[in-house]
Amino acid sequence: MHEMSLVQALFTQLASLAADHDKHRVLTVTVAIGPLSGVVVDSFQFGFDILAAEHSLTKEAKLIIINPPATFQCLQCGHNQIAAVRPDSCPQCHETLLIAEGGDAIILNQVEME
Amino acid sequence: MCDSCGCDLTTNHHSHKTTAQVIDVHQSLLAANDAIAAGNKAHFEALGIVAINMISSPGSGKTTLLEKTIERLQGQIKIGVIEGDIETDRDAQRIRAKGVPVVQMTTGGACHLDAAQIHKGLHLLEQEPGGDQLDLLFIENVGNLVCPATFDLGEHQRVVLVSVPEGPDKPAKYPKAFISSQLFVITKTDLLPYFDFPVAEATADALHLNPRLQIMALSAVSGEGFEAWLDYLRDITKNQQG
Ligand SMILES: Nc1nc2c(ncn2[C@@H]2O[C@H](COP(=O)(O)OP(=O)(O)O)[C@@H](O)[C@H]2O)c(=O)[nH]1
Ligand SMILES: [Mg+2]
Ligand SMILES: [Zn+2]
Ligand SMILES: [Zn+2]
Repeated sequence: MHEMSLVQALFTQLASLAADHDKHRVLTVTVAIGPLSGVVVDSFQFGFDILAAEHSLTKEAKLIIINPPATFQCLQCGHNQIAAVRPDSCPQCHETLLIAEGGDAIILNQVEME
Repeated sequence: MCDSCGCDLTTNHHSHKTTAQVIDVHQSLLAANDAIAAGNKAHFEALGIVAINMISSPGSGKTTLLEKTIERLQGQIKIGVIEGDIETDRDAQRIRAKGVPVVQMTTGGACHLDAAQIHKGLHLLEQEPGGDQLDLLFIENVGNLVCPATFDLGEHQRVVLVSVPEGPDKPAKYPKAFISSQLFVITKTDLLPYFDFPVAEATADALHLNPRLQIMALSAVSGEGFEAWLDYLRDITKNQQG
């Protein structure tokens, strides 16, 4: 469950953001998890819920997970498709070999704190 | 998009009380790991080392492949190994018996190695006899086809391995490891007569995920396909040093 390592990294960032901005309560946390990141969203949410309950800073925090798409470029004709799941082939030339760009990031986008 | 403040929170539950504040961060959760990984890479390059991160399920034959590789490249390429396991130093003992510098990193339950462990491992390796003058560093990751794929260690090459008894559906089921690797090695080809493993299917699935992936098939028992693997190692170490 490497999602737990990532959730721990998130909580380290939340603690230092709270300290920097002199805040005591995290209200919402927005994390973007790309479709090719290898992260299971449910496991991430599960880990978040466990760790959030352990700290007063995050006891009431809500996690919002967004799923940005990836770009799939056709190896044959270069056509780009933007999609959340890997397309089977290129709509222009029907090539099945597509190179994925992006979509593998796990980003802390925003935090709302008070 | 929130109409009041323009933030991209999709719910409208957040209040705009004076004390509440939305902070834009836009930083990777892997930022800390990736920064250490970049440091590792610089460290490898300063020492003239090519580093390979080996990722597979438990039992695919990573340690056996390393044992045979060390035997075959003796006197040609100076090899060191960082072993990652949840518990025990058994793999390190197997490698040490082949006479090359090795350190064992135990993760104590964690299912993957991270860049900080490799940083520590590299310094420990430098204290081993011969560990300060390597050409090629193998990092045998924790046996797991999922979690290690997310963590950059600062390696130059990532190699994913699947053994014939595991079946040909692994690329389709564990895409991240195949998308992020440069080389896919099918191991234990001596067992092909006994298992239903259509090599063409595994190869096509892997290329579908990552058209740039290099693919080879070999057996540590029969030696089949080994020359291509050794050539690949000679090639990447030559490029790095040359
Ligand atoms: N038949 C066959 N067995 C192999 C081969 N390579 C490794 N094995 C066996 O597979 C088992 C697991 O190998 P090991 O190297 O420890 O796998 P690791 O967990 O990936 O390091 C051992 O019993 C090895 O003897 C091979 O090429 N052919
Ligand atoms: Mg092993
Ligand atoms: Zn894991
Ligand atoms: Zn096309």
